[in-house]
Amino acid sequence: MSDGRERLARRELLGRLGVGGAVLPFLGNLPSLAHAAAAGPKQRLVIVFSPDGTVRKNFWPAAGSFTAPGDSASPAALPPILAPLEPFRDRLLTLKGVCNKIRGDGDGHMRGIGCLLTGVELFPGNIQGGSDTPAGWSSGPSIDQQIRAHLQARPDTATRFGSLEFGVLVPERADTWTRMIYAGPNRPVAPIDDPYRMFARLYGQARDREALSSVLDDVVDDLRAVAAAVPAADRRILEEHAALVRGLETELAAQRAAAAHPVPVLEPGILEDNDRMPQISRMQIELVVAALAADFTRVASLQYTNSVGQARMKWLGVDEGQHDLSHEPNGNEAAQEKLTKINTWYAGEIAHLARRLAETPEPDGSGSLLDHTTILWTNELGEGNSHTRNDIPWVLVGGGLGFTTGRALEFPGVPHNRFLLSLAHAFGVTGLERFGNPDFCADGPLSGLA
Amino acid sequence: MAAGPTVTIADGPAIPSGASPARRGEGWAACLAAAFVLPVAVAAGAEPEHPGAAVYRTHCQRCHGVDGTGTAQVPRALVGEQSVAQLARLIDETMPEDDPDAVGSEAARDVAEYVHGAFYSPLARARTRPPRVELSRLTVRQHRHVVADLVGGFAGDLPGLDGERGLEGSYHKGRSFDRTQRVFERIDPLVRFDFGTEGPDPESFEPGRFAIRWRGSVIPPDTGLHEFVVRTEHAVRLYVNQRGDAERPLIDAWVKSGDDTEYRGTTMLLGGRPHGLVLEFSKANQGVDNPAKERPTRATIELLWRRPGGTLETVPQRCLIPREAPPTLVLSTPFPPDDRSTGSVRGTDVSPEWLAAVTAAAIETADHVGADVDRLARTRRHADERPRKLREFARAFAERACGGPLDDQARQRLVERPLEGVDADAGLRRSLLAVLSSPRFLFRLGGDEAAEPSAAGQAVAGRLALGLWDSLPDRELREAAARGQLATPEQVRRQAERMLGDPRGRAKLRDTLVAWLRLDQAEVPEKDPARFPEFTVEVAADLRTSLEIQLDDILWGGPTADFRRLFTDDRLPLNGRLAPLYGIDLPPGADFRRTRPDDGHRAGLLTHPYLMSQLAYRGGTSPIHRGVFLVRSVLGNVLRPPPEAIAPLAPDLHPGLSTRQRVELQTSPATCRTCHAAINPLGFSLEAYDAIGRYRPTATPDGVPVDDSGAYQPRHGPAVAFRGARELGEMVAASDDAAETFVRAMFHGLVQQPLAAFGPDLAAELGRSFREQGYDIRRLAVDIMVVAAAGPPATAAVSSAGAP
Repeated sequence: MSDGRERLARRELLGRLGVGGAVLPFLGNLPSLAHAAAAGPKQRLVIVFSPDGTVRKNFWPAAGSFTAPGDSASPAALPPILAPLEPFRDRLLTLKGVCNKIRGDGDGHMRGIGCLLTGVELFPGNIQGGSDTPAGWSSGPSIDQQIRAHLQARPDTATRFGSLEFGVLVPERADTWTRMIYAGPNRPVAPIDDPYRMFARLYGQARDREALSSVLDDVVDDLRAVAAAVPAADRRILEEHAALVRGLETELAAQRAAAAHPVPVLEPGILEDNDRMPQISRMQIELVVAALAADFTRVASLQYTNSVGQARMKWLGVDEGQHDLSHEPNGNEAAQEKLTKINTWYAGEIAHLARRLAETPEPDGSGSLLDHTTILWTNELGEGNSHTRNDIPWVLVGGGLGFTTGRALEFPGVPHNRFLLSLAHAFGVTGLERFGNPDFCADGPLSGLA
Repeated sequence: MAAGPTVTIADGPAIPSGASPARRGEGWAACLAAAFVLPVAVAAGAEPEHPGAAVYRTHCQRCHGVDGTGTAQVPRALVGEQSVAQLARLIDETMPEDDPDAVGSEAARDVAEYVHGAFYSPLARARTRPPRVELSRLTVRQHRHVVADLVGGFAGDLPGLDGERGLEGSYHKGRSFDRTQRVFERIDPLVRFDFGTEGPDPESFEPGRFAIRWRGSVIPPDTGLHEFVVRTEHAVRLYVNQRGDAERPLIDAWVKSGDDTEYRGTTMLLGGRPHGLVLEFSKANQGVDNPAKERPTRATIELLWRRPGGTLETVPQRCLIPREAPPTLVLSTPFPPDDRSTGSVRGTDVSPEWLAAVTAAAIETADHVGADVDRLARTRRHADERPRKLREFARAFAERACGGPLDDQARQRLVERPLEGVDADAGLRRSLLAVLSSPRFLFRLGGDEAAEPSAAGQAVAGRLALGLWDSLPDRELREAAARGQLATPEQVRRQAERMLGDPRGRAKLRDTLVAWLRLDQAEVPEKDPARFPEFTVEVAADLRTSLEIQLDDILWGGPTADFRRLFTDDRLPLNGRLAPLYGIDLPPGADFRRTRPDDGHRAGLLTHPYLMSQLAYRGGTSPIHRGVFLVRSVLGNVLRPPPEAIAPLAPDLHPGLSTRQRVELQTSPATCRTCHAAINPLGFSLEAYDAIGRYRPTATPDGVPVDDSGAYQPRHGPAVAFRGARELGEMVAASDDAAETFVRAMFHGLVQQPLAAFGPDLAAELGRSFREQGYDIRRLAVDIMVVAAAGPPATAAVSSAGAP
C-alpha cells in the first residue's frame, strides 16, 4: 500500500532511460512540459495541514465581525492566532461553519484526517482508534489528486510531477492517522518529510547531469590510456565506446543549458527530530517555493506531523506534546495559552510561505507567485478536546483560485464536501457535481467565495 | 561416407556478426526444401589460383607485403571498406605509385577482386582471422551479476544452499514480534496455512491475537520480474530483497482496509541467487491496543508467486531456504540484448542504446549505494570519521569494480579527482559514476600480468568469477589471490570446485545447460485446445519446473553429475497436476517427486515432455524439429538453414499417411536429402512421444504401431541404427560427437570466447578427460575453468592491422 504513483513513475522513468534513440538517459528538466503560449494564468494550490484542532476563542473572529457574503470589507482586526498573517490580511479568507460530516468506521482523529480532503468514509479495517470501530484507509481520492488528474490531462497545465507531497516530522509508520492524501480508494500517498530526499527527487537528474559531466573527461582520458594498452585488433570497440561517451558529453551540455533555473541550497546535516522542526519546516517551504517557481508542479501539500500529532515546541517554551495539551479542558488557561502559541507558530509558517511566494516573481512577469497560488491551511479537528469536526479551521491565503479575499465568512454548518467541490471548480473542473459522499453534495459548490 | 551427409563440426572461425543464423525452429519446421550442409574445409587447396594473385605478387607485394600485411615502406595493413569496383578503379588510376600504367584496367580488376576476397574486406578478415580472445564488454547477465556482487560484497556473504529448505517461522502471542512473546520457532516448508478460528494452537495462543514472522531467502530459478501474492484476511507485510528497517515493504497491508484479501507486489530478481524474504502476519487489530474489540475470526495465509512467464503458484519449498540473504542490488534498468550471432552470448559490440543503459544502470547503482551508504561503508550518518570512511569505500569500490589495484593515473581519474572539491557523499557519487562508466569496469581487460606478480592472481580470480558466476571474485577468492594461492592448477581447481557449488555457480551451470538445449529463449509451448485440452498454461509451467528439477537432480543429486544420464534417465519428476497426464497415480496436490512412467520408456531429457512439447507443432509431432535439435544441438553438426521456408504438408491432404510418411514424402527431393537424410531418421526415433510428450507407441486409434526406427552417421566410424528413444538415448550417451559438442557448449557458455583461441588441441584434451573421468559435468566445468583461468596462451605478434 505504498505510494503506487511513485513506484509507477520510477518504472516509467527507467523505461524511458533504457530505450529510445537518445544517448542520454534523462528526462528534460525543463521549466514545464507546457508550451510557452499556455492558455490563461497559472493556478496553484498548496494545502497545509496542522493537527489536533485549534483554540476557538483565539482563532475565530468575534461573533458579528464576519463579512456578509458579497461584502468585501476587511474585519477590524485579525484574531490572535492569525496575527502573523497581518501583512497578508487583504489576501486572507477564513471560512467558519464548514464541517466534516463523514461518519462510519474510525475514531474522530482518523476520520478527521482521512476524510478531510476525501469527503468520503473510511473502509472498515484493522486500525483500532481510541474509540469507535476499527478502520482502514479512505475509500476515495483526495481533492488535490482530483485536481492533479485534471491538470495532468491537459498539455498546457501538465507538469513534471503533477503534485508534490511534503511533510514535516511525519512519523515513520503508515496508518490512518499519518495519511491525508489519497490517489484513490486504498491508495494513501506518503508525504516526504525528509528535505534531502525531496531535494533529490526534485533535483536528482540535474545533480546526476552535473556529476556525470564532471567525470566524463576523465573517463575519456582513461579510455585512451586503456586503448593504448590493448592489442590493435581490440581497439575498435574502445574507439566506438569513446565516440559514444563524447556524444553523451555533448548532449549533457545541451541539457544543462536548457534546464538552468535556480536550485535552492539546503543547510546540510539537519537531523529529523522534534527540536529541528523549525529548520525542517523552513527547508521544506523553500523547496515548495522553488518547485512552484520552476513549474515542477501546481499542486502541493505540506503536512505537519500527523493527526494526533505530538510536536513538543520547546522553542516556544512549551514542553508538553501538542496532542496531550489539546485534550485539556477549555477551562485550563495554561493549556489554552500554550495551544494558542502552538497554533500561532503554525500561522507564522503559513505567513512565511506566503511571504516567500510574494517575494518570488511569476516567471512570465505577471506579478508574484502568491498572485497565482492559494495556500489552504486546515486541520483534522475544529477543537482538540471535543474532537469535533464542525467548524474546521479553513484559512486561505493568496490569489490562485480567484476567491475574493480580505474576508472572514461564516456558513451555517455546511458539509465540507461542498467546499472541496469549490476548490475543484476554481481549477475549472466544473463538470464535477459530487465529490466524496454524494449525500453531502446536493447543494453544489459553496456560493459566495468568488 | 557416401551415403551419409557431409558434415562438419561447429567451431571454426568466428562468423562475422550480421550473418546471424535463423533462430531455433524458425524456418526449420517450415522449411523442408533444399537445405544443404556446409562442405568440410572449403579451401582444400585444389582450387586454381586467382588470376589477381600473380598480379599482386608482381606489382603490389614489394610495398604492401605478403597478404597485405605491410612493409617498412608502407607500414599499414592493406585493409578497408571499399568495394571491388571502387578498389579496381583506384588501382587502375593510381597503382603502383611509381608507375600507374603498369597495371591496366583488366589486371586492376583482377587484383582488386583477389585482394578484396583474400584479406582486404571485413569479410575476408573475419574469414582469415585466427580464433583469438576478443576484448569483450560485460554481457547483460554479467552486468547484472557483477553489480549485484560489487555492491553486495560490502554488505555480507550470501547464504549457502546446504541444509533444510523452507522458511523459519517464528510464532508469537500478542500482536507483534516482541521476543518475550515468542511461543516457538520452526521451519515451515512453505507458507500455506489455515489456522481456522482457533489459531495455531489454542493452548498457547489467544485465537484473536497472534503474530507470525517468516524469515529466509527465496531462490528464483530465473532472472526477471517476479510477482508476489499474499492471500490473507489479516494484517500482512512482505519484504523481498529489502532492508526491513529502511524501505517500504513490497506488500504493505499492515493496515487492513476493506474486503481485500489478496495483495500483490512485483520485483526484479536475479536467477539462482538467494534474495532475503520476510513475511509478517498479525491476526490482531493494530492501532490502539484494545483486546476487547478483537474477535476470533478465521485466519488463513498463503504466499504465492508468479515467475516470469509462469503461473500463480504457492512459492515452493525448493525455492526457499531458512537463512536470510543481505539485500542484493538488482538493476531494473533494461539493457538491449547481447549479440548471439555466433550461437552463444558475447559482449563484442557497443551501441548508443547500450551506453544509455550503462549510464542509467550507473545512476541506479549510485542511488542504491547512496541510500545505504552508511551500512556499506560501515559508518554512521553523523560520525566524524564518515568522510574518511566514504573515501575509503570509494577506493575499495573502484578496485573491486576494475578487478584489482589501479595504477596511479587511473586512480586519480576514477577516484581521487571525483572526490575533490565536494562533500563526501557527492564525491562518492561522482566516483561511482566514473568507475561504472569506465572501460576498466565495462570491459574485461586483464591487467599487466607480466609486470605485476600480484596482478596475475587477481586476473586468475577475475576469470574464475566471470566464468563460474558471471560475476566478481568474492572475499575468499580475493584473499586467495592476495596471498598468492592461485598460482598452481591445483589451487585454482580447489577454488573452482568451491565456486561451482555456490548458488551463483549452480545457476551458471544450469543456465549453460539450458542454453545448450536452446531452451533459454523458448516461449512457453501452447497446444491446440481441441486436441490437447489437458495441456493448460499451468501444465506447461509445471513441465518447465519438472525439467529444471530433473536437470538439478542430474547435476547435483549424486556424487558426480553423469552427462549420460541426460539421455538415459528413465525417471521423470511429476507433481499431482502432471501425474495423470503421464500415467502416474499421485494425489492432486502432491509436490514434485521422481516417478518412472511408461514402464521405463523414458530417455532423460530427450523425451522430457517439456522438450517434446517445444519440439512439436500445436496439433502434432514434428520429427524435423526434433531431428534438427538432435543433429545440431546434441550431436553438433552444422546445418545451413534452408533457402526457403515451406509449410509442412497438411495431414488431411494425405489421410492415409503417418507423420513419418508425410515428412518422408515432402523431403524426398534430392536437394532436401543432403540435410534431411541426417535430420529425419533421428527425429523419427522420437515419434512415439506425442506433441505434449506422452508415450504413444501406437499412433492411430486402430493401434497401428509407430515406426520409430532411426539411424545416425557419426563424424567418425560406421553408421548406427536404432529403434525408439531408449536406444537413441544409449546411442547419444555413447557418442563421441555428443560428448565433443557438449564440451564445446560448456566452454563457450562458461568462458564466452572461442575454444580454439586457447590452443588447437584443447578441445580434444578436454573431451578425452571428460570421457575418462566418467562424463562428470561438474568435473568438466572445473577442468575448463582451470584452463581458462590461466588466460589464453600468449598470442604471438598480433596482426599489425590498424596500428596507428
